[in-house]
Amino acid sequence: MEDYSKIGFKCGIECHQQLETHKLFCNCPSLVNDPSTPDIIFERKLRASAGETGKVDLAAQHEMSKGKKFIYEACSTSSCLVEADEQPPKKVNSYALETALQVALLLNAKVLDEIQFMRKTVIDGSNVSGFQRTALVAVNGMLETSKGIVKIPTICLEEESAKKIEEGKDFVKYRLDRLGIPLVEVSTDASIKDPEHAKEVASLIGMILRSTNRVKRGLGTIRQDVNVSIHGKNRVELKGFQDLRSIPKVIEKEVARRLLMKGYHPAEVRKVEPDFTSTFLRPMPGAARMYPETDIPVIKIDSNELRKIKLPELISERALKIEKEFNLPASLARELIENEKFMDYVLAYKNLKPSEIARILVEVPKEIKTRFNLDIENLSEESFELVLGALNSRKIPPSAVIEILSKAAEGKKIRMEDYKSLNDTELEKAIKEIVSSNKGMTMGALMGIVMSKFKGKVDGKKASELIKEYM
Amino acid sequence: MAKKEGLSKLSFVEIDSSDGVFRGILLPSSNDETLFLKLDSGYNIGISRKKVKNMKKLENVTFEEKIKAPIPRNPKLKNITILHTGGTIASEVDYKTGAVTSRFSPEEIVMMFPELEGIVNIDSRLIRNMFSDDMNIPHYNILAKEIEKEVKKGVDGIIITHGTDTMHYTSAALSFILEDLPIPVILTGSQRSSDRGSTDGGFNLACAARFIAQSNLAGVAICMHASSSDDFCNIIHGCKARKLHSSRRDAFKSVNDDPIARVSKANVEFIKKEHKQRDSKLKLRLRLFDEKVKVGLLKAHPGMKADEITFYSKYDGLILEGTGLGHFPVSKIDEFTSENDKIYNEIKKLSSKIPVAMTSQCIFGQIDLDVYSNGKKLLGAGVIGNQLSMTPETAYIKLLWLIGNHDKKDIKALFSRNLRGEISERILIKKDFLK
Repeated sequence: MEDYSKIGFKCGIECHQQLETHKLFCNCPSLVNDPSTPDIIFERKLRASAGETGKVDLAAQHEMSKGKKFIYEACSTSSCLVEADEQPPKKVNSYALETALQVALLLNAKVLDEIQFMRKTVIDGSNVSGFQRTALVAVNGMLETSKGIVKIPTICLEEESAKKIEEGKDFVKYRLDRLGIPLVEVSTDASIKDPEHAKEVASLIGMILRSTNRVKRGLGTIRQDVNVSIHGKNRVELKGFQDLRSIPKVIEKEVARRLLMKGYHPAEVRKVEPDFTSTFLRPMPGAARMYPETDIPVIKIDSNELRKIKLPELISERALKIEKEFNLPASLARELIENEKFMDYVLAYKNLKPSEIARILVEVPKEIKTRFNLDIENLSEESFELVLGALNSRKIPPSAVIEILSKAAEGKKIRMEDYKSLNDTELEKAIKEIVSSNKGMTMGALMGIVMSKFKGKVDGKKASELIKEYM
Repeated sequence: MAKKEGLSKLSFVEIDSSDGVFRGILLPSSNDETLFLKLDSGYNIGISRKKVKNMKKLENVTFEEKIKAPIPRNPKLKNITILHTGGTIASEVDYKTGAVTSRFSPEEIVMMFPELEGIVNIDSRLIRNMFSDDMNIPHYNILAKEIEKEVKKGVDGIIITHGTDTMHYTSAALSFILEDLPIPVILTGSQRSSDRGSTDGGFNLACAARFIAQSNLAGVAICMHASSSDDFCNIIHGCKARKLHSSRRDAFKSVNDDPIARVSKANVEFIKKEHKQRDSKLKLRLRLFDEKVKVGLLKAHPGMKADEITFYSKYDGLILEGTGLGHFPVSKIDEFTSENDKIYNEIKKLSSKIPVAMTSQCIFGQIDLDVYSNGKKLLGAGVIGNQLSMTPETAYIKLLWLIGNHDKKDIKALFSRNLRGEISERILIKKDFLK
């Protein structure tokens, strides 16, 4: 393993989190994947114009050199004239702004006195207007980590880009459902110590964002960009992490690649590939690409109003409480807190120990995934409630839980009767029969027969005691 | 450039505040309580002056001049002149400060719109730099005189860049002023400013240039996006265009008639077969507006009061924007409609003194005062404009122009005569009248 402090390792992270509210500058609902069939299609070209300095932004020029036509598909259910760049933006979504302020305060950042939305030139077509609207909301925040303080120089509120759905030789096709969804961007300074630390920082920021209870959940709703540089080499931005776990591996590979490079290499943006390597995306955009969004008045932040903003309890704090209250392992408590129903369940199912409920909500799905390779995303709240309820009223034995939930994960219909606990006399009778009709068999073989016949319905310990008794 | 000089005094500063230390370009501030700073990242932020402990200037901000390469003229291409009146089409952003500046020299125009190169040879001049909503009748005369200069120089066509809000008034006004115009005069603009990658201005300008290069039309027209896509522009008769949307690229539609032509990146396709041809023998004559003439434009509405009409007694003419086929509330039906008698009397009184012409707030379709009793009453009161099809804006410009250029006794007859193609003699059957 590299000694990252010796190679001049510098690393910073940007987290982009979608908010659970309508779009930032219009009243369209924020549908990340609008299921409707697109009913609007139009085509545009984008152009890069030279700035006052006579220089066209490097990133903009790169896109223009491709000279592609952009085809936009939209659904009336999720897009209006604002997304089509045919109407000026409405006033900023105040709920989204308040959420960004909450995040800023949770990160101990200084909220700016006046917030101005800027136009960040983006001409790859992913923003119909040719720019992304973005505002710096707060500065100088910080985050405590296991390896010291990481500074959070900026917290921004911005709009999400459109989704690329197809690319051909002379065109790129985008869909507009995602365009304009509010994003909070949290950026760290370059003080991240090593690849594992990067993962920790990303996960802490994610936790703080989720603590607001105002963010979207699920794949693609939070994205991490990682900036890495080492001695003598230009900065590289690795874009498109969706899974925190891949962060250390991708950074390690990129650093190894950089160490092998000779000569000058310009700063660039690279896309993270599924195999943990990265490929060239575009040159690093310069500061030359920003200018004010004159259609949106500057927002004055009233310090009295700011003080009135209620801050949510951090997930980590809530986890600590649960950990103590129910005497759970820390890791379990942390995962539980993301399950909004846990507390309800503890109150509803009084015959079950909180640790047992916790195990079923957190550990059992993981076991189903690793043992049976099943998609646990399919597990609904109803499935859990069905199982917990039956267990609470002793209709099923604890051993049936994994059976039932695996079935549910497979999407199969569940008949609770199939898992009904055999009562003691029924079990005794059945075991007596098995033992007498299989004389001479070993204890283990008999146990196998019993368990396969009454899979999930009997408690193993009890069965083995009964077999011993009748043998 | 004036704006740029003002900005040349900017400095790069360091501000020590209670929220931290900030470095950036100090921007002109809109209020006394806040300092605005452009950070290195490009973001603009506001810092309350109360929080500032110390501010020191680190260096002056210098601007690099753009290199202007002269553009060689291609003898095979037509020569056009772009006359700028302002609007968003020629504005450009200074990425250092975020300020918008305007660029008007031919080199700058080509630098901003490289798509123009190779279509026509460009000359370019700034006439005014204003929002079109601030434009006044004298500006039509100024523009016409500038056009005359260019025609005398022998240019093959003229493009006028114009704010979009009143572009259709200007195009109608120029249609009337420029009698026997031998060349095309095309007005164009943009609904999205030129600083953004998505601007429609470049395509509109290139289509206007291509139309001049590839067609033989003489006359005044508007060239703007045909749809929301960057694929076609419509060439719309100067007297038949109307801005029908506050923000869309295809805001301009041809009313009561097809557009003259459609222009794409590749070619010009004529939709209307008959149009005035370019003719070097034609001798342009300017029939300028009399800047003292006052004409009003009044919209009918429920709850109307007679004194709204009385107001125009000192005017030289009045365009009524009636409902439907051309109606005003002029009949007393019950105890709630007695004001209507007064309205009728005021219209009658006014019509005996000045020309009062009817148009429709429906925008599309023809006026007909023979169908309903209120129409008949208005006709009887002396209101003119029956069975005409002009937009209220074109009718307004026409009446204003007629009063300044003709004898009072001839106005009523001339208003109904089709002088510049402003009246649609036949409104053709369309499946959708607006598409």
